[in-house]
Amino acid sequence: MKEKDAKHTGRLVQTGIYLGKLLRMFIYQNDWKVLPMGAFIAAVVTFVVGQNMFVTQEGTFNGAFSLTCVCIWNGFFNSIQVICRERDILKREHRAGLHITSYVASHMLYQLLLCMAQTVVTMVICNMVGVNFPTRGIITPFGEVDMAISILLIIYAADMLALMLSALVRNTTMAMTVMPFMLIFQLVFSGAFFELQGIAQKLTGFTVSRWGMESICAIGRYNEQPMVTLWNTIFRFKDVEYMGTKPILTLLAKVETEGRVDEFLKWSGENSRIAAYASDPDAMLLKWAALLGLILFAVTVAVISLEFIDRDKR
Amino acid sequence: MKFDMPPISLVRSVLEWMMFAVGMQRVFRKLNYKHPWHSWIPGLRYYAFGKTVELPLSGALCGALEVVLFFLSTFFSTAGERAQLAGALLTLVGIITLLVYSLRLDLRLISIFDLRKRWIILFLLFNGVAWLILGFKKKYQPQHTAEFMEEWEAGTEPAVTGTSIARRKTASASGISIDVRERMVKDFGKKRYLLKDIAMDIPNGSLVLLLGGSGAGKTTLVNALIGYEKADATILLNGEDVYKKYDEMKYRIGFVPQQNLIRGSDTVIRTVGDAAKMRLPRNVKGKERNQKVHEVLDLLGLYAGSEGLVSKKSGGQLRRISIAMELVMDPELFVLDEPDSGLDGVIAREIFAKLREIADTGKIVMVITHTPDRVIDLFDKVIVLAKDSGRVDRLAFYGNPEEAKAFFGRDSMEQIVLSVNRKEDGGEGLADQFIERYAELTREREGGEAA
Repeated sequence: MKEKDAKHTGRLVQTGIYLGKLLRMFIYQNDWKVLPMGAFIAAVVTFVVGQNMFVTQEGTFNGAFSLTCVCIWNGFFNSIQVICRERDILKREHRAGLHITSYVASHMLYQLLLCMAQTVVTMVICNMVGVNFPTRGIITPFGEVDMAISILLIIYAADMLALMLSALVRNTTMAMTVMPFMLIFQLVFSGAFFELQGIAQKLTGFTVSRWGMESICAIGRYNEQPMVTLWNTIFRFKDVEYMGTKPILTLLAKVETEGRVDEFLKWSGENSRIAAYASDPDAMLLKWAALLGLILFAVTVAVISLEFIDRDKR
Repeated sequence: MKFDMPPISLVRSVLEWMMFAVGMQRVFRKLNYKHPWHSWIPGLRYYAFGKTVELPLSGALCGALEVVLFFLSTFFSTAGERAQLAGALLTLVGIITLLVYSLRLDLRLISIFDLRKRWIILFLLFNGVAWLILGFKKKYQPQHTAEFMEEWEAGTEPAVTGTSIARRKTASASGISIDVRERMVKDFGKKRYLLKDIAMDIPNGSLVLLLGGSGAGKTTLVNALIGYEKADATILLNGEDVYKKYDEMKYRIGFVPQQNLIRGSDTVIRTVGDAAKMRLPRNVKGKERNQKVHEVLDLLGLYAGSEGLVSKKSGGQLRRISIAMELVMDPELFVLDEPDSGLDGVIAREIFAKLREIADTGKIVMVITHTPDRVIDLFDKVIVLAKDSGRVDRLAFYGNPEEAKAFFGRDSMEQIVLSVNRKEDGGEGLADQFIERYAELTREREGGEAA
């Protein structure tokens, strides 16, 4: 059949064709293994830090950081090799009429499904380990729904950043060499553990870890929780003597006898609030928008770089 | 009058720079580099150094780094404390990179001069001295200058000039009409011809063999004629310009690459089916498309086991799947780059027999292969490409296999390839002679036809 002006498959149909391919690859190419692997990592981490998560500020902070790291790790591993491992195939298909936007869109949809599955797995694992998710949400009426959306966005944003890297590099070796640097960047510039200033502080805006941490802490109502660090620190100095007396021990005993320990912990929590972790709907939407922005950025870079795939040397 | 002595470090730097430049200039002369004075210009000298030792990319990078590092040091010396720190870090990275790449260049130079590897220590510790010794000592001479410079000059000028082949005044309305005037690339600002003067008309229904030694430009020609890498050319497929209507024409040209670029994690039928969905026009109904897929699978002997995974298939089956993916769109021109690579004679013959069948349906099937003699009886036409002594790929012959044997005076296609291959590559080095003879032949033919 020769119809000289016949139209060929458009972007939408091509996206469907490639999504089908990817779904079949999920079964045949053992892509499904990322699910149990992600579940295992989530289980180990939440088992260690999950008990005090959303109970005290310290527990929430550590738990949020660990959970964010788990999500980023899972996201990175989902897609770090998916494009570079078939770069030559993609080049062939591009010259035969494949639209790069369709190819990337199919990956986006497929990875979204994968990330949704990982979100469900992570939430289930957290529940099993005994993490007390907040019942009250910020955007939706349910805390668990807000948390699931945040986890999904964190995994997906990390996933898309890895997809971008996979589109930029030429082979899997290079991808796996660069990935640790991306991870380190996420950890160092999360702003969680290091006091960052100037340009370094601005760079935190480009990390999934910062927005992820802030989202989880905000949903977990970090600023409404008690803080135990101050009490524990004072307790460590209980035996300090001053002019033959132990004033710190006396103070602690008094607070305890009067049953005001919780009040003290709450008071120290109120005085250690962090503005970025405020459970405010507008601020929360901004954090989600930032994660969506990162996703959009990564996808745009991936598409632009792949549009030049024909320039790869033979 | 008071005269301040310049600091000793400055004197040392200038002295080192002079030794480096003078030594390098002498070495450039020994290497027959046209502009030895380039050694005096920072940046350019590394670029020239890279060219002379046939590592132009490394040379260009070193040259750029040399210039950038100079400006970095000037710029950051006047900047604030934080900027100075950033500058120092950048400079450190730059210096390490420059060191590594200049080491590569030095090692290549040592190899060209056939020196012991320990010379690298001298280059590292006393760079200027090393260059001076190498430049001024007569006993140190490059061992293969000509070859390196020839490599650099390759393709910049066609060796066979003024004898271009005759071209038909009117292109054939059916089949493919090829007229490649030239295909040129710019390599570090230097024009380099890849193809020159290739013209022919191939009728529909032909199985065509594209012959030539390694690096004779077969893939370059194929890419030019399917429109993937455009040349200064006119390619007409059944009367329509491939370049001007590329977006449409690419669906009428099938190209099977040398490697099996197929996903192993899908079934055969899905792989071919998806290729059909992608490449057949949108108005082809699902039923019709499936029928086409089944026909192609049947033709190529893939129907049985088509529900199996691609990764489980043998080498021969993979080649056939690769062919099926292109054939399913019913191309008018079908080009295959070494469809028999890595296959034994029996399977290779099977594949070529299938290609013959495809050609018999009225398509043009063009095949690159390095083992043509086992299947030469199946071919209608042979295109012989050869590199002339200026390293430009040219047309040495186009005709049927028997005419080719008579033209070259050889009994087999492999002998023909040997006759046009360069002597350095184990051939007879007769490319220029055959290119000129074929050009004359075409002119005679055209003259005769015109008369």
